[in-house]
Parts: sequence; C-alpha cells; structure tokens
Amino acid sequence: MGGYLFSVFVLFAWVPHIYGLWPIPRSLETGSVALKLANSFRITANVPHPPSDLSDAISRTVGHLRTDKFERLVVGRGSADSETIQHARELKSLTLALAPGSPVRSISDEAILPIESRSEEYTLHIPSDGSAASIEANSTLGLLRGLTTFEQLWYFFDGQVYTLEAPVSITDSPAYPYRGLMLDTSRNFFPVTDIKRTLDAMSLAKMSQFHWHATDSQSFPLVIPGFTEVAAKGAYSSLMSYSSKDIQDIVSYAGARGIDVLVEIDTPGHTAAITESHPEHIACSHASPWSQVAGEPPAGQLRFASSATANFTANLLTAAAKLFPSKFFSTGGDEVNTECYANDSQTQSILQSTGQTFEQALSGFMQTTQGALEKAGKTPVVWEEMVLEHNVTLSNETVVMVWISSQHAAAVAAKNFRIVHGPSDFFYLDCGAGEWLGNDVSGNSWCDPFKSWQKSYTFDPLANITPEQSHLVLGGQQLLWTEQSDPSNLDSIVWPRAASSAEVFWTGATLPDGSPRNVKSALARLHDFRFRLIQRGVSAIALQPLWCALRPGLCDGDS
Amino acid sequence: MHSTPQDLLDAVARSESGLKSDSFERLVVGRGSADSTAVHRALSLDALVLSLDSGRLIRSVADEATVSIASRSESYTLSIPARGQARLVANSTLGLFRGLATFEQLWYTLDGDKYLLNAPIEIADEPAFPYRSFSLDTARNFYPVDDILRTLDAMSWVKMSVLYWHVADSQSFPLEVPGFPELAAKGAYSKEEMYSVNDVELIIQYANTRGIDVVMELDTPGHTTAVGFAHPEHVACAGKSPWAKYANEPPAGQLRIASNATVEFVKRVFQSVLTMMTSTMMSTGGDEVNLPCWEEDEETIDVLNKRNIAIGEALNEFVVAIQGVLKANKITPFIKGDMILTHNVPVTNDTVAVVWQSSADAAGIAERGLRFIHQPSNYFYLDCGAGDWVGNNILGNSWCDPFKTWQRAYSFDPYANLTEAQFPLVLGGQMPLWSEQSSSENLDSIVWPRLAVAAEVFWTGGTLPDGTSRLANNVTGGRAAFSRLNELRYRLVDRGVKAIALQPKWCVLRPGECDVDA
Repeated sequence: MGGYLFSVFVLFAWVPHIYGLWPIPRSLETGSVALKLANSFRITANVPHPPSDLSDAISRTVGHLRTDKFERLVVGRGSADSETIQHARELKSLTLALAPGSPVRSISDEAILPIESRSEEYTLHIPSDGSAASIEANSTLGLLRGLTTFEQLWYFFDGQVYTLEAPVSITDSPAYPYRGLMLDTSRNFFPVTDIKRTLDAMSLAKMSQFHWHATDSQSFPLVIPGFTEVAAKGAYSSLMSYSSKDIQDIVSYAGARGIDVLVEIDTPGHTAAITESHPEHIACSHASPWSQVAGEPPAGQLRFASSATANFTANLLTAAAKLFPSKFFSTGGDEVNTECYANDSQTQSILQSTGQTFEQALSGFMQTTQGALEKAGKTPVVWEEMVLEHNVTLSNETVVMVWISSQHAAAVAAKNFRIVHGPSDFFYLDCGAGEWLGNDVSGNSWCDPFKSWQKSYTFDPLANITPEQSHLVLGGQQLLWTEQSDPSNLDSIVWPRAASSAEVFWTGATLPDGSPRNVKSALARLHDFRFRLIQRGVSAIALQPLWCALRPGLCDGDS
Repeated sequence: MHSTPQDLLDAVARSESGLKSDSFERLVVGRGSADSTAVHRALSLDALVLSLDSGRLIRSVADEATVSIASRSESYTLSIPARGQARLVANSTLGLFRGLATFEQLWYTLDGDKYLLNAPIEIADEPAFPYRSFSLDTARNFYPVDDILRTLDAMSWVKMSVLYWHVADSQSFPLEVPGFPELAAKGAYSKEEMYSVNDVELIIQYANTRGIDVVMELDTPGHTTAVGFAHPEHVACAGKSPWAKYANEPPAGQLRIASNATVEFVKRVFQSVLTMMTSTMMSTGGDEVNLPCWEEDEETIDVLNKRNIAIGEALNEFVVAIQGVLKANKITPFIKGDMILTHNVPVTNDTVAVVWQSSADAAGIAERGLRFIHQPSNYFYLDCGAGDWVGNNILGNSWCDPFKTWQRAYSFDPYANLTEAQFPLVLGGQMPLWSEQSSSENLDSIVWPRLAVAAEVFWTGGTLPDGTSRLANNVTGGRAAFSRLNELRYRLVDRGVKAIALQPKWCVLRPGECDVDA
C-alpha cells in the first residue's frame, strides 16, 4: 500500500504544469488533484448590497462555465482525462468577498478611477478536497479579475467541467495599470456589437483600457451633442455613426467588464472629415497631391492658428468629454503636416498678423484645447510628437503615447511625462498586410514586417528607462489602424495577438516560478487562450497547426 | 432548351434569388441614393433568356465542368438591350453558367429596386486560360465542409474552374479513403475533423454544379507523417528530432519509397481515392522531399544496399509507379515542379507541373515541353507575411515575406520568360492557402478578395476589353482594377463572405483618390 502511494506521488511529480492561464498570475501554486464542478455549483458574493454589475459578472462566469465546451489541448483532447474526471471530487461553490473595510463600489466605478488609484489585486484559493473556493479582493474590480482567472482554470469533457490542478493558490496583481487595445473606427466603421465582443475578449485577458481612436480624416462617426453636424456630414452614413446612446452603451459595457474607455479625437491633424461640415476650419482640405501635405489621403488639418478654430475645437472636445466618464481624454496630435499650413493662405496671414511662429501658434492651440479638457476634469493624453517634435507647453499630468518607435520612450521619460507604450515596431496589429494605396504594385506595409505575437511578447517596458523613471511607465497597448480592416477581419487580425501585451503589462518581467517571462513557455498558454476565445464567439486565428498545439514544444524552432 | 439539366435550372434559381436578396448599393459618395432619380426613370427589363447554340449536345454543368481541361467550353455572349429581354447564349451549359455569374454582377440595389446604369450591354466572353484555381490545405488545420462550400460559391462568382484540394499532409490526414478507414481514423485531428466519403461526394458535387472541377492532391512521398499514425511501417524518420534536419517543418516523416510494401500500399490508396473523384486530373504532390530522412532510415538503407541502387533511383521508381496508377485510369497527373527541376524524376509526357517555388521556375518546366500551372510563392501565396509560426523564434518572419498584396498578384504575367511556342503549355494558375496559421476563423479574410485576382489574371488574360494591356503600369490604380475589385469585395460581404477591406471606405467611394500618385 505504501508502495502504491509512493508510485502515485512520483507520477504526479512528473506531470508538468498544465494551466492555461492568460495572463499568468504573479504568484501561483497549483497541485495535481482533479476537481469537477458540481451540478449545483454556484458563486456567491459575500458583499453587502452587491453592485448589480458584480452580480452580472458572476452570472456571466457561471454561464461561461456551463457553455464553454473547450476540451484540453492534449493528444486525445478531453478523452485523455476521462478516467481522471470520473473519480474527481466535486467543487460546490465559489465565494467572493471583499477585504474588511473595503468600500463597496460598482466595478464600473472602480474601473474608471484615476489610473494610479485602481485596485485590481485579488487572491484565489481552490482547495483540493471540494470545500468552497474563494476569491478575495480590495475592490469589486479585483473580484472581477479573479473571476476571469477562475474561468480559465476549467476544461470540458462529456458534460463535465473539471480542472486537474487543485489545490490552486493565487495571489495576483498587475505589474502596470494601463493594459490597453486601440481601435480606429474612422478608416472603416465597426458596429457596436463588434466593439462589445472585443471588450469581452479584452476582459478575459484582464485588459483595463479601451483606447478608442474614434475619428480621423476619412470619417467622423462620433455624434457629439451640440456638434451633431460633424457626424451627420462626416460619418460614412447615419448607420455608420455612434449616437450618444451607442457611446453610453459601449462605456457601460466596458466599465462593467473592468475596462476604462479612453476616447481620442485626433487634432489638429487627421481631421479632414470635419471639412464636410466645417470647411472654414480645415486647411489643405482634400489637396492634391495628398502626399505633399498629409501622411495619407485625404489631406486636411484644423487651422490651429485661427482663434475661431481653436475655440470650435475646445468646445467640441468639451462636449465630447461629457460623453465619457473616464479621467483620460486624448487630443491626439500625431503627424501634423507643416506643408499643409505653408500652403494655406489663411494660416499664413494669421501668423503674419499676430507675429507668431508656427510652433507658437500650435502651442497656443494646445493650451486652449488642453485647458478645456482640464476644466472638464480630464487628464490629457497626446501622441509623442507633441512632446518630442513640437515646442508646446503641456501640463505635467499629460500622458504621452509612444508610437513611432520603441526607442522614443526614453526621450519622453527624460521630459518627465508619463508613458503609454504603443510602439509600431512591436505593437501595431495592422503591419505587414501590404500597401493599401492604389497604383502601387510593389508597395509594402510601411511598418513591415507583421508583428508576430512572439515579437510583441518580448517587449520590455523598461528598456532604456532608468529605475528613477520607471514610475512614469503606465503600461501599454497594441493598436489596430483600420485602413485594411473592418468587421470582416476584426477578430482575426486582433486575436489572439492583442493578448500578448495583456500579459506583458499584467505579469511583468517574471513568471510566478521566478524565471523570466519567455515565448517558449507562453505559446501553450496562448493556444489555450485562443481556443477559449473561439468558444466565446471570437474568431481568433490559429497560431500553428493543431498538431503543434496538442504537442507543446515539438514545433519550436529548436526542437 | 429541351430537357434542361437540373443543375442549370438550380443555377438559374440561385441567380434569381441572389439578385433578389443582394442589398449591395453602388460605391459612390451617397451610395444608392445618388442614383435615385435615374432609377425612378429607368425602363424595365422583362426577362433574361438563356439558350444554347443550336445543335449542341445538352449536358449538365457538372459534366461540362469535368471534361478534360483542354476541351471545356466556357464562352458565352450576353446582350442586355435598353428595353425588353436580355439574351445569354453559349455553346454549353457551363458557358451559360459563366454568363449568369456576369449577369449577377451588373446590378445594384436601391430601396428594393435592382438597376444598372449602362444599358445596352453587349458582352462576348471566354477565358484566356482554362485552369483558374484555388489550392486549399485542409491538413495543417481543418476546415468544416460548410467553409469549403461557401468558398466554392465565391469561387464560382468569379468564374474559377478548379479547386485543388491539398487534403492531407504531415500534420493530419482528414480524408476517409474507402478500404483504408484507418488513415483518417488515426490520422485526422478527431472524428469531427475529417471528410467522410459522403462529405467528399457532397463537396465535389457542389463544386461541379458550380462549374468547378475538384483536383485532389495526395502529397507524396514527403508531407506524409500523418500516414504513419495508422501505418508506422510506411513512414521513415517519423517525428524525428531535430525536425529541421529531416523536414521543412514539423513533424518530420516521409513515405519509405524504397520499400515494395510501401509502394504497393500507396498505389492502392491512390486507386481508392480515384474512385471518389469526378475529375480527369489528380496530383501526386512531390514537393520538399528531404534526403537525410531516408539516408538515416535503416529500413531504407537496407533495401537500397540489397538492390544496390541510390535513393534517387528509388524516388524515380516510386513516381513512375504512382503515375502508372493514374495513367491506367486515364487520369492526367499533376506533380510539384521540384520533382522535375530538382530531382529530375522521369514523368509521363502528359504530366502537368505545379510551379511553386518561384515564378522564375516556369521557364525551366516549359523547356522540357511539359504543361504546367502557375502557383509561384513570390506572387500567389496567400499565407505569406504573417510571421513565423514555429515556436521559440522571436524574430522569425514568414519564409515568403512580404505579404502578397492583390496588386502584386495582379501584376503577374503568365507568359513571362516563355517563348510564343511555349504559350500553349500554360494551363493557368492558382493561389494557394497553406494553413499553418489559418483555420475556419480567418479563411474568408485571408482568401478574399485576393483570390479574385488570380481569377482575373487567368480569365481575362493580358488585354482589357478596350484593347489596352491589363499589365500596363497604371492598371492597378483606382480607376481600373482597384475599383472593380473593391466592388467585388462589397458584393462578397453582401453574400456572407467575410472578404477584407482593401482600403478605407473613403477611398472606395472615390476611385483613384487614394492612389499613391493622386
């Protein structure tokens, strides 16, 4: 008998960790005991007057545990575990509790707190004897993060939902508070349902920020009260615009899933669509050849030197800011084209009459727009050029998004601004699909090659940043610019790659076993995550032949 | 027409219901509303009348689509007068079917009205090349039957004539072969991820009735590890590590070509697969054979030593034996170009080579007087440019970077580097999707609308109807192919195929304004 127990012990000792958690928790201990969910399995919140979005989150988790039919990725799939499942103990309940003294606020309220004061940490315990599992946190947001971890522990086979790794003990918190995804809804339009599905997938990866690049030169789909003519004329059609109700729908859907919505109205460049309703505010509108006055067609930028245009913009931003409860608001600021203004007689005559330089006028415009945002209680967010290429005065609170190159983060840090990493050389989801401009037979993507998940996964948020500057790094995000994307390929171009940065910025540099985070061990978990997304109706693409997904490591370059 | 074939009646019914349910509005600023006055005033078209030229044998679309590739009749004429009845005339039901595909593309929708703005229309049409194909790999990852049927529908809308089905490979063997059920039972990813005999019959029949011939490829002797799941005795270096030494990708494994038992086994498998086909063509594959795999395989070494032959001779014998099965069944054999150009195997004179490594290889095949199809990786591979899929390879890129844009593919010249005397050797071409990084989730988005480029390269040929060269410098610009391709893309989306956007919609509505030189 003793010999039998001993041999069982040895066998289990050789079983590798099989969890498919994404992002992987900061601290994680698992055993090798099988547990299955009892038919009566329920989740209870030991929270006084639980907010409705917490109750909804619990219902969603219970629903997913019932409807996900994801079989473990091993040769033989779920049938490989059938014997083990039969003899497994049952888990009857999961209990959620807030730490004593924690305030009881809705997930939505917690998710939109100032980024430095959000509480996402949680602990999760699943005993191996079938007694109640528990999640504890300091906030409902932390409880939500714990629920998404719990959901990822379970596999399906033959009507049973089981895990093989009890007991489970997790203490988890994000390395960085900003873990985002940017979506451009201007080059091509995305219906609300597509955005909601994307938010669901983001939530499963514990992402915290949806950066909504809502408007650009091609279309202006955002209906802003008081400025409804801008979308009425600048959206692709009335069906391809976001009403106040749509916006509220998206914001509350995101908030309930622990996601803050950072909206961007890009200014003063990338604004040609405003010319449809307000030609008086746009310089070099639809000028040809576009390549001399814009990064891409159509040309057109706000006449920032004009005080009428600056006031129009500030008022528009103020009105838009009211639609979004987030503390963050981005005024964009990338790729301002000076040639556009050099040829614009109106801008030139204003500069002459006021005696201002181009940069002085731009700084004045920025002070007007940023001032309006601050008045609306917002923390301004800008693209890196506003700090690195232009001589404009910005509030110290400003958050700077680095996009041109990962090399530029250090320069932003040197100016003591907070940073969100979105470098095109690591995180652009649209790179590598060839040129979209016409009459360019051998044109390639400007940011070739394609950014593989492996490339994104190796991003180091603190590269070239001194320890004293590291507090400036808020996190980062992958980005989808949509010249070549629309609802037809949203899921396939975003997922599962966007989960790469979710782990980079949640887990940080170190895996729970103390070893450095690495692509070799990540792949099996990312496969797991991808198959879970498919269960939930997200058309995430295959990273490898299924043969490889079932045999971790055998399709490595060096195996 | 007396005794109209059922599949032609079905095609007419599909065109009618397609025209009714399409909701595609013309791609102009304002969309359909821009045409509302014109639509109000338009005259009505009463009917489209289909007829075959007198004296023609009436056969089904499916039968016409599977006659030998050199003798297919796809030509048609279509007349749409400014009032009255439109007429579609052809020499075959297949020609009528092609004409219906054209007719469907002429119409726009506004408020329930179907209209066009350019009557009268006179079209006389026929393909420049008979072989216009898509090659789908269902082994690296599996595609449900419904995905294949949807793809066939879309292919038929752009008049494609062949589905080249790369059905099995080293990763899985999803094809149920009569008499060899163990191949799929053990070689498919799961019993849900295989094609039963009934599935294959359905796919072939669905394709044929849509004017598409199905050419099966059983890739041999490489790319066959999955055969070893059921028959380890026939596979050398199965799963051997490091895979990079024994194969182009994991898992390693190739048929034991020197073994008599293996050759006999493969012959019987081919014989069985032939019974499932309606095509007169089949491919034995032959790409990327790896010599170290055999050179270190003891069983292979034993046979070679006993017979005192080199591995090259065994390879020759293997190909001759398999091609012999096809020949005995009057099937035209296809083979990958490297079998000829790299391994110099003796092939029958009627062999069709699949030129894949580089467009530059076509001339070498033509020099040998063999017919061929173009499938060059440097123009037509749909999977290029998505990064490396091999694990633990951070900076790895796609082996065939960069991504092949539609513009790149469209610039392909089927006659480049060929003499005029060699032109008849070109049957056409195909764009392949290798599925290491593709599956049901992104099939539409990675294939469409790019695949339609090959359809036009090989249907329209080198000259546009106005007599200018399709390959002239500016034809990919917004005012030429691009606006038509954008339109096709929106029509595909309208019919449930998730073709991707090629440009911001702003550009789509303004042809030419997003050209690089606009």
